[in-house]
Amino acid sequence: MERLNLSDAAPQGPGALPPGQGQPMMMPPGPPPVPQLPPQMFTTAAQLLDLTDKKLMVVLRDGRKLIGVLRSWDQFGNLVLQDTVERQFVHSEGKALWADIERGLFLVRGENVSLLGEIDLDKDDYIPEPFKEAPVEQVFALKKQEEAAKKGTGKRRNKKLAEHGFEGEHSGEAIL
Amino acid sequence: MLPLGLLTAAQGHPMLVELKNGETLNGHLVNCDTYMNLTLKEVVQTSPDGDKFFRLPECYVRGNNIKYLRVPDEVVDVVKEQQQTQQAQRGGRGGMGGRGDHGGRGDRGRGMGRGGRGRGRGRGG
Repeated sequence: MERLNLSDAAPQGPGALPPGQGQPMMMPPGPPPVPQLPPQMFTTAAQLLDLTDKKLMVVLRDGRKLIGVLRSWDQFGNLVLQDTVERQFVHSEGKALWADIERGLFLVRGENVSLLGEIDLDKDDYIPEPFKEAPVEQVFALKKQEEAAKKGTGKRRNKKLAEHGFEGEHSGEAIL
Repeated sequence: MLPLGLLTAAQGHPMLVELKNGETLNGHLVNCDTYMNLTLKEVVQTSPDGDKFFRLPECYVRGNNIKYLRVPDEVVDVVKEQQQTQQAQRGGRGGMGGRGDHGGRGDRGRGMGRGGRGRGRGRGG
């Protein structure tokens, strides 16, 4: 499928009349025609066609960042990623570090994807300042600290929000 | 091959399933369906914080609770083999009819991409 967008004309069906002959003479002036998307673009998942066999970053709803090659997908947005690495970033104690962890072949259930995009291979090797690569163990330990700290603040925030009638994600679910 | 095709091809293989609540299940896939419901055997269940472990001889997972699955890299090769044998069978049975059917299939499975289709054309023609 070629790249299409809103400004592309929808293809004319076989029943379409040539201009000037389609309108009866006494037709009252109707509303202007609404721009139509070409039918190829009606499913959102179909846009993944352009990204197949490309290197992508996928961000999951839990904040995890996966980098891998998109090999397959379906109408639910389920994704198959090959040669995936998980890239972790930490920014704490005055340090900004990142690390890659080899994860291999992934099947991600579509619901859990929050965003994805193609990676520019030319810029792939450069990770902007102030982040520096560090050993996985170090990043992992810091990440764990960060999460533990966040757990405390998250609880307090949810409590405050609940007073105003807001409910957090999963707040209605039983936790086993 | 669609994602769920990969999953069916992974039957009998070890895999890691992470649920939406962060729990992980390590075990061998016994069976699965189109909802992504799974049955696993010889499972090690890990709590979301990774501090508690449970051994389960078998378990059932309702598909909607899954966040992602990690499957061994070899499963891709299994899928490729399956596709090749299927195509060979189809090619053997009937000339044009088989090819027409194959064309439709190729279009449907286009997510899997060029690799599979290219190979199919080569064999058919």
